[in-house]
Amino acid sequence: MAGLSINSITKRFGETEVLRDVTLDIADAEFVSLVGPSGCGKSTLLRIIAGLEDPTGGEIAIDGEAVTGMRAADRNLSMVFQSYALYPHLTVAENIAVPLRMRSLSAGQRLPVIGPFLPGSKDKRAEITAAVKDAAEMLEIGALLDRKPGQLSGGQRQRVALGRALVRSPAAFLLDEPLSNLDAKLRVQTRAEIAQLHRRLNATFIYVTHDQVEAMTMSDRIAVMMDGEILQCDSPSIIYEDPNDIRVAEFIGSPKINILPVELHERTLSLFDKPVGRTAIGAKAGVYQLGLRPEAIHLAKSDPLLTGTVAHVENLGAEVFAQVELAGQTARVTCRAAPAARDQLRLGAEIGLSFDLADALIFDADGKRQRGVEVTLDQPVEAA
Amino acid sequence: MTRDIWKHLILILGVIIVLAPFYMMLSYSFKSPGEIDRGVGGFFGRQAMMVDERCVKLRDPNRDEIAAAAPQYPGKTDSEIREAIMAQAEVDCSMRPVVFNYSKAFIEAPLLRYLLNGVIVTASIFFIQVLVALPAAYALAKLKFWGREAVFGLVLFCLLIPVHAIALPLYIMLAKVGLTNTYAALVVPWTISVFGIFLMRQFFMTVPDDLIDAARMDGMTEFAIVWRVMLPTAVPALLAFAIFSIVAHWNDYFWPRIVVTGSRDLFTPPLGLREFKGDADGSFFGPMMATATIIVTPLIVAFLVAQRRFIEGITLSGMK
Repeated sequence: MAGLSINSITKRFGETEVLRDVTLDIADAEFVSLVGPSGCGKSTLLRIIAGLEDPTGGEIAIDGEAVTGMRAADRNLSMVFQSYALYPHLTVAENIAVPLRMRSLSAGQRLPVIGPFLPGSKDKRAEITAAVKDAAEMLEIGALLDRKPGQLSGGQRQRVALGRALVRSPAAFLLDEPLSNLDAKLRVQTRAEIAQLHRRLNATFIYVTHDQVEAMTMSDRIAVMMDGEILQCDSPSIIYEDPNDIRVAEFIGSPKINILPVELHERTLSLFDKPVGRTAIGAKAGVYQLGLRPEAIHLAKSDPLLTGTVAHVENLGAEVFAQVELAGQTARVTCRAAPAARDQLRLGAEIGLSFDLADALIFDADGKRQRGVEVTLDQPVEAA
Repeated sequence: MTRDIWKHLILILGVIIVLAPFYMMLSYSFKSPGEIDRGVGGFFGRQAMMVDERCVKLRDPNRDEIAAAAPQYPGKTDSEIREAIMAQAEVDCSMRPVVFNYSKAFIEAPLLRYLLNGVIVTASIFFIQVLVALPAAYALAKLKFWGREAVFGLVLFCLLIPVHAIALPLYIMLAKVGLTNTYAALVVPWTISVFGIFLMRQFFMTVPDDLIDAARMDGMTEFAIVWRVMLPTAVPALLAFAIFSIVAHWNDYFWPRIVVTGSRDLFTPPLGLREFKGDADGSFFGPMMATATIIVTPLIVAFLVAQRRFIEGITLSGMK
């Protein structure tokens, strides 16, 4: 078990720059997710950490020891691949045993037929068998040990791949979208299991995913990557509630955060030409963007800040999401409502929406978070 | 329906064309020389007892032998003794044509020795070809290095060179290093098979990169990946290559004929056929066809046994 430090890694494939000066420190036993849309460089970063790809510039250190340029095999890392990458010709038990065999048996001892009879081979082989059994039991695949990967379901293969990764004690586990080939139900279940595994092994996990739900539910910290950069790396709650960048705010959260254009003029903040609040002294006048999570917007009983017609309703049972087409605007906003409000949210119904400016995130025109812009409300919008 | 009939008729015609030589070969290997010459006797021939003229001739006694045999024939003249011996020889030398043909094949020509040579040469060629082709194909398919495409281009170019075009320079090279009339001469020129490299490279392209990366993470060196991961997954393709290689070199007549000039101990099975090539006294088609039958049998048996996997290998669909 060990911490990992990634120091200004850059990677270029020909002309295209895939990673730009990525720096990240991962503590021992931490679960860090690299999350971002496809093509953001998260898998490349993982492969560079693994040693499967060489960085164009920058350094990687595992447990304080520089490993840049070292072979993947010598880095003592385990990796689970999206396609599982099990050896098709070996049984489950043999698949799981491979990392141990390659490391603890000598070349002679690995030979078929005569290998088992060489001195010392027997004890080591017994150790390996025991370790494989332990790993299989931890993952509840003990009954499958004699099967070939071709005879397993996707979920079972995924467990075998996990077993192969955890059978030895690596410095860190690297997981490259391990759940993306599973069906939705199994994904939720395995998600919880991987999180449990992390707690049980108390090991460093680096988890690559494009699924923000996976990142939110499992991680100690999430590194949101976009265009080859880490935009923000923080705990899930900070990433959600206090994003640094509009792209982070837009990527994390489902349904997506609502972005509304606002204008600041002489300390008055106006939304669609309607003054909604006043800012403290110091903020520059100009165009800003207001980020509002769906749960920050609620139905207004009186004096709404926004009005519009209900264009689409998604009833999830415990909550209802309504897409509202704003009057005189092309943009839609999504708001969350309690199931009790379903009656009001008929398609085509005219409704008024309101929000508390304290819940809003303010970004500048370039999408940078403006923490300095403090807003106070002009008047209490809602009585109740 | 009628289209099916036509299809089958055409296919049957094809089958006849393909099988006719084999039919003749097998039939001749059963028949007596007379039946072969006259073209009678159906498939098996009448299998009437026949006398092996050469066997009889070999037992023609000379003076000393007649003198030695004299005590067994008291009161007979030398010529009577000779006739008696010859009569006995004719009885001893008469046999069924099928026995005659096949025993000739094994006795007249040391066919077992030839078959053994065939196995040694073919197996060594295939073994070394695999030893060379797999790492080369792996490098061409999965490793990134400067000039890879150029090297692969050269491989493709080598596919275009006909064997016969380079036979003479090869022979001279082998002769200069004194390797003619050795197993090495039969094996060495074929050990690098560009076809094998090409075929395996195409197959390795379909192996997912993740599998190789997983092997690297598990601590395998690149050579270990070739032998422990690529080789087992490539078995179907390897079998396809095995057919091409083994059939080509088992049946090869041209190259062994060039480099094996003296010693019959190095003859491969096809060279064995020459044993029955008649010079003055006509060809021995029966034993010759028996030899041919024996030579092709191992290949046919091997194909039948592994038929399913061979076809898998040729279509390269064995791996998902």
